[in-house]
Amino acid sequence: METINTDVLIIGSGAAGLAATVYAAQSGQNVLVIDKGAVGKSGSTTGAVQIASLGDWSDPRDNEDAYRNDIEESGRGLSDPKLTQTLAHDISERLQDLISWGLKLDVDEQKEVALSATSGHSLPRSISARKGKTGLGILQTLIRLVKKSRNVKTWSDVITLELVKSSGRISGAIVYDLRNNLPYFIESTAVILATGGIGQLYPVTSNPVQSTSDGFALGLGVGANLVDMEQVQFYPVSMVAPRSIAGFCISFYHYSKLYNSLGERFMKNYEPENMEDTTRDKLAIAIANEVVAGRGTPNGGVYLDGTEAITQIKKEFPHEYELCLDRGIDLAKHRAEVGPAAHFMMGGIQIDEHAASSVPGLFVAGETAGGLHGGNRLGNNALSECVVFGARAGMGAAEMSLKGMNSDHTDLEEWKDKWSPLFSTTKGKIRPYQLKQRIQEILGEHVGVIRSDKGLQQAKVQLKDVQAQLAEVNIKKDFMSREILDYIEVRHMIQTAQAIVGAAYMRKESRGAHYNTDYPSLAAETQKTNVQFSNGEFTFHTFAPKGGVS
Amino acid sequence: MAQLQVKIQRTETNTKTYDVTHSPDMTVLDVLEEIYHHHDETIAYRFSCRTGLCATCMMMINGKPSLSCMTIAEPNDEGYLFVSPLPKGKTIKDLVKVPAN
Repeated sequence: METINTDVLIIGSGAAGLAATVYAAQSGQNVLVIDKGAVGKSGSTTGAVQIASLGDWSDPRDNEDAYRNDIEESGRGLSDPKLTQTLAHDISERLQDLISWGLKLDVDEQKEVALSATSGHSLPRSISARKGKTGLGILQTLIRLVKKSRNVKTWSDVITLELVKSSGRISGAIVYDLRNNLPYFIESTAVILATGGIGQLYPVTSNPVQSTSDGFALGLGVGANLVDMEQVQFYPVSMVAPRSIAGFCISFYHYSKLYNSLGERFMKNYEPENMEDTTRDKLAIAIANEVVAGRGTPNGGVYLDGTEAITQIKKEFPHEYELCLDRGIDLAKHRAEVGPAAHFMMGGIQIDEHAASSVPGLFVAGETAGGLHGGNRLGNNALSECVVFGARAGMGAAEMSLKGMNSDHTDLEEWKDKWSPLFSTTKGKIRPYQLKQRIQEILGEHVGVIRSDKGLQQAKVQLKDVQAQLAEVNIKKDFMSREILDYIEVRHMIQTAQAIVGAAYMRKESRGAHYNTDYPSLAAETQKTNVQFSNGEFTFHTFAPKGGVS
Repeated sequence: MAQLQVKIQRTETNTKTYDVTHSPDMTVLDVLEEIYHHHDETIAYRFSCRTGLCATCMMMINGKPSLSCMTIAEPNDEGYLFVSPLPKGKTIKDLVKVPAN
């Protein structure tokens, strides 16, 4: 196996990975950024509509404390104050950097930066670029810089099999180049994981096809601490039909009215004060309850009526209006069938304020990191997290590599046995994509918006069956093989799915996005859940948020 | 469910035909997924967001450059859906191009 050397390796090239790349490259160290798809085009960032902000344009009442308080209020006691403080502190500077690099913010009729309100934020602080294609705008800004940096290399179509540790610290990663079907060892002083989320673990998701939870499994593989993995945000108002846009997020639910099949505006029974303009966790649970109670639409959702606010909708969210129109739903005239779709992992690899994980040399940024959003992520805080913690991870990793903290010679014996189906003939009958679908069914049925102890126990057993079936796969070997990609992804998915189910089972209460019908209310004491994996076994425990294991 | 004849140009000299189970709400991307799942596990194509933003699923559809996730699958005048890689740049395999970066 060929070895490739770099100072900093970045896995994933969405907003977090590319922000990390740009800031790491400023140090002059060599940076390699890899993506299992096309670099800069394969993550959740492309779909991000707005970004929460602080800046010259802010409401005069807004400041770091107000922003931070909103995140912590929404986090239901699970947000790490060091991380909320960092986000609120750094966001203004990171946005100034992006603007100085060419990002043009959308403006209103008065040519002022257009500021809009988002549910859960106490003040309007959401801004956008490229007419509501903010994620794309940020990616293009960062890519321009990456192209100009002579010390940055990009590599598309290469997926990570495992991270490698040597003498207790990260020494690189074993990757698989899908174009030539060859594994490589990338040796690097520091690794930044920015692989995005987990949406593909569920049957309906807003996430891109690449969101197969790779980073969480890679972190587990080297003994990283993962926190609050049960906190999966379901975007409450996603298209249920038609199937080609199933999971597509509707951002204007706070301007809309939701009805059940009886024609009742049901949010009055859940959130009489805020109605539809409430946080995503509460809205998702309310909608799922309506459907379970038999008051859902034919396709298992509820009705969204946006007709009264259609002018504002067309103006602020033109892409959403037009995509629905293209698929036969004119929101100016018709109601849409909407329901919860897997959207965002609030848990993840535990990081400190420098985006460093518990494993020396491993940094994590964006959705793969855990602890900032706690039990509920507020709208437009995904992009702000990516640019703030991506930058911090890039700077931290570069600083570590400048100090030359190289590990000893790395022993690479065991990994090939673990991935032998990639290198030998497989004779099974199961195709990898079928196992992916099975995982989606299991999590959709038992680990969705509404959970129970019995369901979680069933999920655990069923996932063990899927794991056993991995030995019976058949993989058609070819270059650019989707079968090989699916096989590697399903291995990552099964690891992360088990972490989610185990963490969910540990939380004997309902908090944030985790709703268990056996324990429908908050426990008196706030506890975080922790997952680790070592010697082939998962271990789960809970701990009080400010240190001290229970 | 009706059948749709799909021809995919896999190399300059090899075009393969598939008869795919089809409903009118399917996009070209849905058809390609159907082919990968039920007809041919070797077929290669890029996609990511499924909502017309990332543009990685751009390909020639019935002779026009289009996003496969945004184009409803329909036969051309000759009665079949024709899919081929974009003419510009290097093709890695089937419909997959080297990314522009």
